[in-house]
Amino acid sequence: MVDQLSPLEPVWRPGSHGNFAAGVGVILSETQPGSIVQATAWPGEEKALMGAIRTVAGIVLPDGAGGGVFTEEKAAFGFAPGKFLVVDQAEGLFATLSAAITSETGTVTDLSHGRTAIRFAGPKAEWVLAKFFAIDFSLAAFPVGAGRSTVHHDIFAQIQRTGASQFDLYVFRSFARAFWNALCHASEEVGYEVR
Amino acid sequence: MSPRRSQTGGRVDRTRTIRFTFDGRPFTGHAGDTLASALLANGVTLFGRSFKYHRPRGVLTAGVDEPNALVTVLHGEVREPNIPATMLEIYDGLTVVSQNRFPTLAFDFGAANQLGGKLLGAGFYYKTFMGPVFGPLKGTRFWMFCEYFIRRAAGLGRAGIARDPARYERMNAFCDVLVVGSGPAGLVAAKATADNGARVILAELEPKFGGSANWSDETIDGMAAAEWASTMVRDLKARDNVRLLPRTTVWGYYDDNNMAALERVTDHKSAPGKGEPRHRHWSIWAGSVVLATGAFERPLVFPGNDRPGVMLASAAERYANEFGILPGQKVALFVNNDAAYRAASTLRKAGAEITAIVDARDEISAAAQEIAEGAGGELLRGHAVVATEGGKHVSGIKVQKFDLANGALSGEARHLDADCLLVSGGWSPVIHLASQAGLKPEWNETLQAFLPPKPTQNWVGAGAFNGRFTTAEALAEGVAAGLSAAGSIGRAEYAPEVEAPVLDPHPAPVFEIRAKGKAFVDLQHDVTADDVRLAYKEGFVSVEHLKRYTTLGMATDQGKTSNVPGIAIMADAQGRPISDVGTTRFRPPFAPVSLGALAAERYGEVKPERLTPMHDWHVENGATMYAAGLWHRPAIYGLAGETVEQAYVREAKTTREAAGIVDVSTLGKIAVQGPDAADFLDRVYTNMFSTLAVGKARYGLMLREDGIALDDGTTWRLGNDDFLMTTTTANAGKVMQHLEYLLDVVWPELKVQLTSVTDQWAGAAIAGPKAREILASCVTGTAVDNDTLPFMGIVHGEIAGAPVMICRLSFSGEMAFEVYSGAGHGVHVWEALIEAGKPYGMVCYGLEALGTMRIEKGHVTGAEIDGRTTARDLGLDWMLSKKKPFVGSMMMDREGLADVDRVRLVGVIALDNRPLNGGAHIVEDNEAAPRNSIGHITAVCYSPMLGKYIGLALVKGGKKRHGARAFVSDPLRNRFGPVEIVSNHFFDPEGKRMHG
Amino acid sequence: MLINCPYCGPRDLSEFSYQGDGNRTRPDPASTDQAEWNAYVYDRTNIAGDHNEIWQHAGGCRAHLRLTRNTLTHKITSVSFARDERHKKPHGHRRSGAHS
Repeated sequence: MVDQLSPLEPVWRPGSHGNFAAGVGVILSETQPGSIVQATAWPGEEKALMGAIRTVAGIVLPDGAGGGVFTEEKAAFGFAPGKFLVVDQAEGLFATLSAAITSETGTVTDLSHGRTAIRFAGPKAEWVLAKFFAIDFSLAAFPVGAGRSTVHHDIFAQIQRTGASQFDLYVFRSFARAFWNALCHASEEVGYEVR
Repeated sequence: MSPRRSQTGGRVDRTRTIRFTFDGRPFTGHAGDTLASALLANGVTLFGRSFKYHRPRGVLTAGVDEPNALVTVLHGEVREPNIPATMLEIYDGLTVVSQNRFPTLAFDFGAANQLGGKLLGAGFYYKTFMGPVFGPLKGTRFWMFCEYFIRRAAGLGRAGIARDPARYERMNAFCDVLVVGSGPAGLVAAKATADNGARVILAELEPKFGGSANWSDETIDGMAAAEWASTMVRDLKARDNVRLLPRTTVWGYYDDNNMAALERVTDHKSAPGKGEPRHRHWSIWAGSVVLATGAFERPLVFPGNDRPGVMLASAAERYANEFGILPGQKVALFVNNDAAYRAASTLRKAGAEITAIVDARDEISAAAQEIAEGAGGELLRGHAVVATEGGKHVSGIKVQKFDLANGALSGEARHLDADCLLVSGGWSPVIHLASQAGLKPEWNETLQAFLPPKPTQNWVGAGAFNGRFTTAEALAEGVAAGLSAAGSIGRAEYAPEVEAPVLDPHPAPVFEIRAKGKAFVDLQHDVTADDVRLAYKEGFVSVEHLKRYTTLGMATDQGKTSNVPGIAIMADAQGRPISDVGTTRFRPPFAPVSLGALAAERYGEVKPERLTPMHDWHVENGATMYAAGLWHRPAIYGLAGETVEQAYVREAKTTREAAGIVDVSTLGKIAVQGPDAADFLDRVYTNMFSTLAVGKARYGLMLREDGIALDDGTTWRLGNDDFLMTTTTANAGKVMQHLEYLLDVVWPELKVQLTSVTDQWAGAAIAGPKAREILASCVTGTAVDNDTLPFMGIVHGEIAGAPVMICRLSFSGEMAFEVYSGAGHGVHVWEALIEAGKPYGMVCYGLEALGTMRIEKGHVTGAEIDGRTTARDLGLDWMLSKKKPFVGSMMMDREGLADVDRVRLVGVIALDNRPLNGGAHIVEDNEAAPRNSIGHITAVCYSPMLGKYIGLALVKGGKKRHGARAFVSDPLRNRFGPVEIVSNHFFDPEGKRMHG
Repeated sequence: MLINCPYCGPRDLSEFSYQGDGNRTRPDPASTDQAEWNAYVYDRTNIAGDHNEIWQHAGGCRAHLRLTRNTLTHKITSVSFARDERHKKPHGHRRSGAHS
């Protein structure tokens, strides 16, 4: 199998940057999942779809808008009515989910190449992300596991909180480099590390 | 005598010396100084020249309300004008110049404007420069003549043209309660809300929290007020539910408690920290807001009230107590209220001599009387200041007896010595934000002030903002406001005690002393009391009109010191009470905001780049990139020494002769999935898709609801319920939104899911007579012969180990294939195709050659689908199904749209063998002026196949003119000449080449 | 201005795009009544007060929402998913004689 080429490759500068003398405020990385799949349920079929995701991926989605679940290997979250992003570090999830979700339940769309996954973590993660997105990043308003759809000017982002101070951002691949550069730029003030 | 720094007192750090320059002269100050306090400490009182009359001006206030002491800060080549010296914290290396003076501040030619004072009165510009031209010295022609000189003489600071290298940022914030202002009321409000567990933001426009506590000399909770404030701030800082924002001006109150604020992050630093923005624009969504914005002291209006040395009484208190500065040695006061007497005792204590207290009132309280006696100097009740003496600084004042009842002056004018005159005309609550989120402010007769209006949004006020001018009242209200904002009904646990002199802050209704000489209302715009009366005489009755005619309150300070006196003088002229006249509505911003902060991260980088998977390959292989919307696409892959035309002609010619490859990843791609997908496509496309076989693609056209063409593209049926729609690059977003609307709002019963998959796929189109051979040499897992992959067929296979999907379709008119791979495999597949193409002489081609080949074929794109053309206009009648209704089907045949004389798609050939231009008119007569245009050119190229300059055009009558001669008329580019109108299908009209 | 998206919660105006007057009903696709189509395509009510509007949460979940928004105060008194409701309110015509 041919490896995916990251759109961030030419701008990937591992190490510490910006104002990091007193430690870095955020750590940026690309998680490069093998599978990023969108699953959509027809109205009324949400439970069936969540069941299929559980059967195939072994992860249990909680009820409620924006509900999600995260493990180091797999993650899933709702980002719109009846719509979920399901992520697996391994390849092949699109095929297995497609087989499990019939057209009576909903649809499955492969986005494994179409979205770039950026992990943004650290004590200043909320602070820097708040420069981009007009959503409340506080833990109370945005609990661990939950997903959000939002936008920074032209750049759509689906964001899952994957830790108390860790967020995974899924952005369109074609925008990924511009967004990455913007993230790095905005992180300079707090010091950042790319790893 | 001049102001000076006292040996002790104040809260500046005398151990830290800071060096700066003012008009090139070096000065020193201390940490904690503003430019105003540091210059005063050095005996400087002349800060600038005034707007119209170039009068010398000093410092009137100690804060954001400063109308006079405006300066320009230089950061290298970058200049920032009109910064109040009172708001500018000094730092090492600060470079400041004064404004509106020529050649120097002390000696200014423009001061001659004072002699022509009458000429520059209210409405000067309207009267002199507007209206019809009578003779040489009237009207707009005269204005154009005078403008240069006037612009040079009048005005404030001069903006620079150097690019600002500073960084600006936006910050979004959410909180339960935003407290605006950190005086005693704001501090306790923040504490009360924080105690209740609410998320609190406390914004203070000054560097130091505490407001009046920093200079009031009062005692709160048994501590000096300033010390109490520090304790409170420490307490708040320690909590994680409180965010403190110093140097942050909340300047706008928008819908749903969305507040705009400007944080001046590094303006007080010699150099910003790494990555630190200079300014940060805060957009704060607050559940509720506590407005504890305090009050501004008002000056009194009397002749000579603008001379340096005249200062607000509270400002003098602040300079003395906070900065350790005596604004004068021999200080006189001119007041209309008791509270201002406190300044006399403060300055006396700090070492000044109080020469006189001139009070417009006959009666004063015993407490005031006692202070006056303690301060020494003459107490002149029932008197008014009628003039100030001196040149560029006050050296004395003249007083006369004053009748409070009718404003009459009597008796001989007496001279009194003074090098500083403190004035107080009462206090105006800072209701600007409330005015943006409330009904009309209400005039209060007792306070002689406009009080906050009834809220129309979720805010609560506290303290001086509410007209509660004493610290004890402010504290009580602050706690209550904090509790109420936090939604708590609990009782306040915290009730600090205050020790302060009991002085009535309510002023007598005196605003102006009418004596001979220029008495200024708006110091920043040089509007005098006479200007206000003139405006009234000329019929300006509404306070909003008064403002615009005289420009009172329209300067950078937005009338913070002049609003109420101006309205009072207007009311007096009209013989109406102030409550009837009302006030203007305060609009955002409360104080000037840098444009950089509003542009934030968009400053310098207007748009994010959108890159295809093969972007870096293109750049490395000599492509000239072209920005098409957000996308960056190769325009040509030029060889050394080639012109653009030579490059694209070579690329197009080689493609038609052998093969060429182009990156088509930017095409919009939408996954249309679900059991009703085919039905949905039938509804939105003009042609049928339900009849399309799985594994086949079809060209489709979409109309808008009004029957105008929206977009075109091919849609591929990948499975029974699974389609891949492609759109033009430019319209991808628009088409998506159009389809989503139909599904969500019009046909929610359809089971169809739309997903943008533009970025999922890398697309490479390979075209030309050798295209099939090239593919066959590198594709595995499928054949690509005519049987396996017929025209519009789709196959799946692999190239160099990466899965690909290949559709045989053509935009160039050649035998062509679009090869789609996962975006992450894009470069891998692209390089394999390039390698496979080498033996066949395949070239890469860019947008220019792509355009050339599509023009030769007469295909339409965005230039023709321009939001005005119909399917028939574009010659696409054949795509309009008669078997089904579709979006736009009823509207497309309206009379006007069916008119045969509409502009329709044709081809044009330049008969003079010169290049054509898009946008040029087509005319029937060979004239220079584009009269009787019959249409316009939409796209042009040099056609290597025809050996001619050709174009597509939309021309009246369309086909009827085939074979006719016309002319191109392009006066902007001076291009005229004959053209022949032909069919848009220039090349291989039967399509033999692509069907092969 | 905040719009309380039923899925995403309150979000800033900048995430939404206005999709027009919500008082319109698209004629039956098979309808050949020109006046009816004309009304759907061109007629808009222009209310000073509570207005029935369609907004798309374009920068969020992308759902279309039906709002009751006061055009004078910007106060939003109801929000729901457009697809959940089939408002069949008569169309606000400006021209007399137009079919409703």
